[in-house]
Amino acid sequence: MNAPLADSATEVRNRADPRQVLADRVAQLYRQMPIAIVATFVAGGIATYELTGRFLTDLVKIWWAIVVVFTVAASALLLAYRRSGDKVGTAHQWLRWLAITALGNGASWGLAGGVFFRSLTDEQQVFLAFLFAGMASVGVPVYAASWPIFALYAAGILAPFFYILATYGNRLFIEIALLVPLFYAINVAIAYRLTQVFDSGYRLRHAYGRLTEDYSVLNQRLQGQLVELGEARRQVEASGRKLTLFAERSPIVVLELTADGTVTQVNHAAEILFGYAADELAGASVKRLVRPEYHADFDRQWAEMVATRQPATGLKIRTPRRDGIDLVCEWTVTPLVNAEGSLIAVIAQGRDITAQLEADRMKKEFTSTLSHELRTPLTSIIGSLQLVNSGVLGDVDKEVLDLTQVAERNGQRLLDLINDILDIEKIESGKLTLSPESIHIDELVRESMVLNKGFGDRFKVRFEFAGGSGWAVNADRKRMLQVMTNLLSNAAKFSPEGGAVEVTIGETGPNLKVAVHDRGPGIPENFRHRIFGRFTQADSATTRQKGGTGLGLAICKRLIEMMDGRIGFDDRAGGGTTFWFELPRQKV
Amino acid sequence: MPARPLNRVCYVEDDEDIQRIVRMSLERVGKMTVEVVGDPTAAIDAMTKFKPDLVMLDWMMPVLDGPALFRQMKTRPETSALPVVFITAKAGQRDLDELVSLGAAGTISKPFSPKDLPEQLRAIWAKLP
Repeated sequence: MNAPLADSATEVRNRADPRQVLADRVAQLYRQMPIAIVATFVAGGIATYELTGRFLTDLVKIWWAIVVVFTVAASALLLAYRRSGDKVGTAHQWLRWLAITALGNGASWGLAGGVFFRSLTDEQQVFLAFLFAGMASVGVPVYAASWPIFALYAAGILAPFFYILATYGNRLFIEIALLVPLFYAINVAIAYRLTQVFDSGYRLRHAYGRLTEDYSVLNQRLQGQLVELGEARRQVEASGRKLTLFAERSPIVVLELTADGTVTQVNHAAEILFGYAADELAGASVKRLVRPEYHADFDRQWAEMVATRQPATGLKIRTPRRDGIDLVCEWTVTPLVNAEGSLIAVIAQGRDITAQLEADRMKKEFTSTLSHELRTPLTSIIGSLQLVNSGVLGDVDKEVLDLTQVAERNGQRLLDLINDILDIEKIESGKLTLSPESIHIDELVRESMVLNKGFGDRFKVRFEFAGGSGWAVNADRKRMLQVMTNLLSNAAKFSPEGGAVEVTIGETGPNLKVAVHDRGPGIPENFRHRIFGRFTQADSATTRQKGGTGLGLAICKRLIEMMDGRIGFDDRAGGGTTFWFELPRQKV
Repeated sequence: MPARPLNRVCYVEDDEDIQRIVRMSLERVGKMTVEVVGDPTAAIDAMTKFKPDLVMLDWMMPVLDGPALFRQMKTRPETSALPVVFITAKAGQRDLDELVSLGAAGTISKPFSPKDLPEQLRAIWAKLP
């Protein structure tokens, strides 16, 4: 366990910024400077006092002046350091200045030794030696944060002293001189060790400072994440409330069920619709809301939904209400599957379509009534008039005949309108079914021209078949004749008297194209975009002049599209219009 | 195609106006002999007496409608072999197809043209075995 701990301590220390550590050491050195300054000044003063008046008075005064200059210079340096702004970036510089000052300080003492020692009395020499030893020792705590500075300082004091002692010619002094380097070495070693302690201490301090900083950053980040989590929780709660509100206030029935079909929650709409309170339905099987005779069907569909996990829509289920009245609801059932793929709930949303089904039934009945009750009397009216007009009952007076013909024509118009309305209703409600068969297109076109010859005669227009083809289409014969009748009668209505309507059959790619060409006035610009719409005619006067319901082309378009074809019109070169339709062709 | 031409037609229809038009059409235009029956419940007896070549039934009739009468005819030996043509204003193509598949000889939809009715009946007659 120890090794990793030591490693981690080293690792921690290494995280410290070396520039910061150096700056701390420099600051420590400058903090100790006042001691050096005061010690130098006081010791220098005592030494000057002791040496003055005996000999070399001038030199002593000069030396004192040097001590004073040093004191002032060192104080100025200290002041400058304290006032400086960036102590980290300029630490090297301050260290250099300090080294110079320390060397000067040491050298000033060394100077005193070198100059004065030989001239002193024995007692004075002891005094000076004691002073040197003391000053050198003072350097240890003062310069402990940088052992090279101490080494310089102490060398400045001791080197001249060593030299004087060694060359004095006195055996005792030589022995003392030999002790000086030893003494110096021991002190430098102590300073070195102290420097290391300082360095390590400062590094640890900074490393832990950084750790604390990291920790606080981490703390801040955690705090931020906590805030985000709290916000997320609030949002989840808000959407939960929103969802509950949606279900609760929804006009459609919402049930939450378990995978085995047990009701867990129902909304207000369900209570109102089925007549049960929420807690009567909750906990029971949802089959209570299915008529017993449909239980088998329900079980099969439910099992399929649970097995496939696929949502189901448009499920119509007959439900006995609490009061026994039957309802029909249309359901959308959605299984909720979690990330692991297991079914956690089933949401069923239901809409009461009882009234809608009733409305559909009534509409169907109405259509049937319209069909029967209007067509039966028309059969009598048109049939009677046709018998009169055909002449089989004998000759009729010309004026009477004119009127009975008008009556027959308008009876027919009324019948056409009813048929067209029934057709468009059937097409749009998807109830029209086609009976496609392979039809020889030439025969169909010829048959339609024969059938509509009478209509053409009325407008004094001929139908001409220009060229045929051996193609067939897969289409409903009766409905194709209806389309052709519409196109031919439109063309006849708008052609000039004595004109011809041409019918052509051609091919366009995989399709067969039947075109009906007239020489009419063309389609007015403002009518082109709605020509295939319902109840559209270029102007209402046309209806009165030419007859027609305005539904013919709308029916044609729908019929042709039901047979996978398309219908359109083009302006005809030389005047007139070409109506055409295309159907996928078959080779006969 | 039956050996003899279509001559005797029995028509069961509750609407007197249409009865009259059909009778005129078949007699005057088609030169046929026509027996019109207004009460469907009396129709089978009338057919048994009249012995028609072909029977025309209206679909929508009170008490007994065309398809029901048709099913009754099928159960009676004297009428089961008679070719039946339905004439109706109501039914969709699918209903008519279903009747044909049940054994009806053909269908004619209302409104029909009295000029063309005999021709339509003869066309159906011509397709019979």
